[in-house]
Amino acid sequence: MNEALLTLGFALVTASILALSAVAFTLEYAVTNVANVSHGEILTVGAYAAYLVHERTGSAIAAAIAAALAGGFVALAMHSAVIGPFVRFGASPTIVFIATLGVSFMIQNTLVIFFGASNVAYTLDPGAPRHLGPFLLTPLDLEIIASAIAITLVLYVVISRTRFGKALRAVSQNRELARVTGINATRVAAATFFLAGLIAGYAGFILAESVGSFNPYFGFSFFLITLTAAVAGGLGKAFGTMVGAVLVGFILEFAGGYVSASYNLAFAFAILAIVILVRPRGLFTNARRTVFE
Amino acid sequence: MSAYIVSILTEGAIFGIMALGLNVIWGWSGDFDLAYYGYIAIGAYMTLVLTIGPAVAPAHYILGLQLPYPLAVVIAVLSAMAVGLVVGLIALRHLRGIYFSIVTLGAVYVMYVLAGQYVPLFDGYNGLSGLFDPMGDWFGLDYLSYQWFLMGLCLVMFALVLLFMWRLSGSRFGMALRTLREDERAAAAFGRDIYRLKLKGYVLGAGVGGFAGALFAAYLSAFNPSAWSPVEIIVLYAAVLVGGRGNIWGVVLGVFIMGLVVQESTRFLPEVPGHPQIVLALRGVIIGLVLVLFLRFRPQGLLPERRYVDPEPKLEPATRTA
Amino acid sequence: MNTQPKTAGKPPALEVRGLTKHFGGVYAVEGCSFEAPMGQVTGLIGPNGAGKSTAIDLISGFKLPDSGTVLFKGRALEGLPPHVISRLGLIRTFQAPREWPGLTVLENVVMANWDSGREGFLRGLVGLGSAQRGRAADELVKAREILDEFGLTKLRNERAGNLSGGQKRLVEFARIRMAQPQLVILDEPMGGVNPVLGERMALAIEAFIASGTSVIVVEHNLPFIERVTQHVIVMAQGTVIAEGPFETLRSNRDVIDAYLGEMVKQ
Repeated sequence: MNEALLTLGFALVTASILALSAVAFTLEYAVTNVANVSHGEILTVGAYAAYLVHERTGSAIAAAIAAALAGGFVALAMHSAVIGPFVRFGASPTIVFIATLGVSFMIQNTLVIFFGASNVAYTLDPGAPRHLGPFLLTPLDLEIIASAIAITLVLYVVISRTRFGKALRAVSQNRELARVTGINATRVAAATFFLAGLIAGYAGFILAESVGSFNPYFGFSFFLITLTAAVAGGLGKAFGTMVGAVLVGFILEFAGGYVSASYNLAFAFAILAIVILVRPRGLFTNARRTVFE
Repeated sequence: MSAYIVSILTEGAIFGIMALGLNVIWGWSGDFDLAYYGYIAIGAYMTLVLTIGPAVAPAHYILGLQLPYPLAVVIAVLSAMAVGLVVGLIALRHLRGIYFSIVTLGAVYVMYVLAGQYVPLFDGYNGLSGLFDPMGDWFGLDYLSYQWFLMGLCLVMFALVLLFMWRLSGSRFGMALRTLREDERAAAAFGRDIYRLKLKGYVLGAGVGGFAGALFAAYLSAFNPSAWSPVEIIVLYAAVLVGGRGNIWGVVLGVFIMGLVVQESTRFLPEVPGHPQIVLALRGVIIGLVLVLFLRFRPQGLLPERRYVDPEPKLEPATRTA
Repeated sequence: MNTQPKTAGKPPALEVRGLTKHFGGVYAVEGCSFEAPMGQVTGLIGPNGAGKSTAIDLISGFKLPDSGTVLFKGRALEGLPPHVISRLGLIRTFQAPREWPGLTVLENVVMANWDSGREGFLRGLVGLGSAQRGRAADELVKAREILDEFGLTKLRNERAGNLSGGQKRLVEFARIRMAQPQLVILDEPMGGVNPVLGERMALAIEAFIASGTSVIVVEHNLPFIERVTQHVIVMAQGTVIAEGPFETLRSNRDVIDAYLGEMVKQ
């Protein structure tokens, strides 16, 4: 029983990071109808930015901010340079999907040029694990979970209470209609990408902290798990995604206890495949191309 | 001819076969299949595991039957087709577009993880090696002349696959596949069994990929997860896209162009001493850029798909319309 | 309900009984029953949301009915996949023209025939036998003739996707002529088409009948319905509310109510 609770504690950490990454991905999808395969690279860039700042300043807070800002600007660039033009041009979702794959590849290689391909170690001290009720967590873990909750709350407020949030929802539901009512869909999309990038960049930072080291490819691996959570929760539905992320995080953590953790990704995809195959109705509310029904 | 040219031609031929197989699935059926490289890997792994001797500790792998190379190739191709059938049965049932692509990405990732992590299968990250000069002993070839032999073999196989694809391209089977790509509902309304037909195309493509993998194994005499590197994969897809999806000559052209890009880019890019991976990474950036640019400005590729052009009918008074 | 007497004891081309389909609590089609006489053009009309398109999807296998029966040539069609129904001789069109855009007009028409013998993978490699080659040659000649009939000869090598909406509809008609099904269901063929082409389409439909294909036409364009049909079925709210020749429906109370005055304006 204790072991289960321990695992639950770790699962909370994974789920927190995953939830942030997944909700950012979902925002990108909601506002452009594009599955951004280079989403993982936003996390990677965030991790590197945080590392650089932390090396210089020793401040975790500065590092976190750097990660978020770097993520925000990279995401904005992705949208302005690639995704936005493709969407305006009317390219099919598959074409843009492939394009983002190309962007992902470009970013990974660019990072290799500047930082090399080998692992970079994070020098942040996670602190000693403390017992918190039945859980065993480090102060770092607690910060991660707390920050994830805080960011989620802020996001909720932004989406449901602000004018920007309203515009975001309008564009995600019906782009053409939103345009007709005077909303500049492209600008809203760009701003949403910046917001998503802030969240994803920060997620990259805490992921790197949590794992302890990273390299130019680590965002892409995590993206695959992110994708699982996003699809499980419902592509384009921000809060369904969070639920999906928590679920996937938990499943992975518990499965990882019985099977070697390196099978994590394979597991994630097994879940993904099952979800897509077994619940096509619930997931295809946003997609157009199912076979007939 | 220098050894350099020989290896270029051999690799080019193998790469061409890979691209032709991908063209069946992506070009004709219209499905962006990310699992494709997995079939190449299966072809390579199975060929190795069937031709080399039994595993000697600390290496672990299955089989090790020391079969003659041609037989191993046949079994390897069938294995790739079998796995392709399983993936296709799942992915082609309900899924199209990005959902299909995502599930196939998952499939290839599972294959990759299994190959790397589950050591008893193919010795994990160490991979397999030891396929030296298959069929070389039949002809009593030494190392140098074997390279020529292998090049000749690969070129001949490439020509055969090209012929194969040329026949299929102009056949009703090929056209039926393309109607699925163009409009599935209409194809079903006119009697085509979509699922079955797509499966046929998919398994065929997987088989061709497996065949290329078998040749690849002979060329490399080894195979391990690092040979699955993203560069190899992206260059393959870029080749099919750049040349012209759906057009087998376009695909050949694309292979040629990407081969040129890959080779020549290393020549002109700056070498940074002590950081060998920078050149490779720069090449990666260029290839990614080529992919994105073509997707935006010329998604149909350089050579458009060929269509049947009906010749001018001879004018006969009886059949002339008012 | 007035029913036109069946043509001299011939069985109907299509018999639909009690067809029902609901989507999450809403009944799109409920207890829909009708017969389409053989060798005639039957119209299927009704206000938006009446369930006409769903009924067609159910009949042609693109959706599965919750209950009900569809009888065609003595066979029950419910549960059969669309390609099987098509091979039995029932072909349908869609609300938007669904040509194969990347293929030429001629290729579109040639591919209208499903020929299991010639479409196999091995055949593709090995090539056709002499009998099959003869069939293929005849098919090509027939395709050219059909295109000529529809005035599409000049466009035969054109990429079908480049054609105008009306031209695409003609290509669809040419495909149907090629396939020669026993029954064709046309789903709003005049949709998005220049009314000028209406007469041409009407003639094409008459040609279908002449070549042995019965026709069901779903349309909103009521003058067109009046022009081509001998028998009309009216649907509203998922079920059939009236049947008969077009003239008799003008004064039918139920029909008028269903359209809320739309018909009277015509």
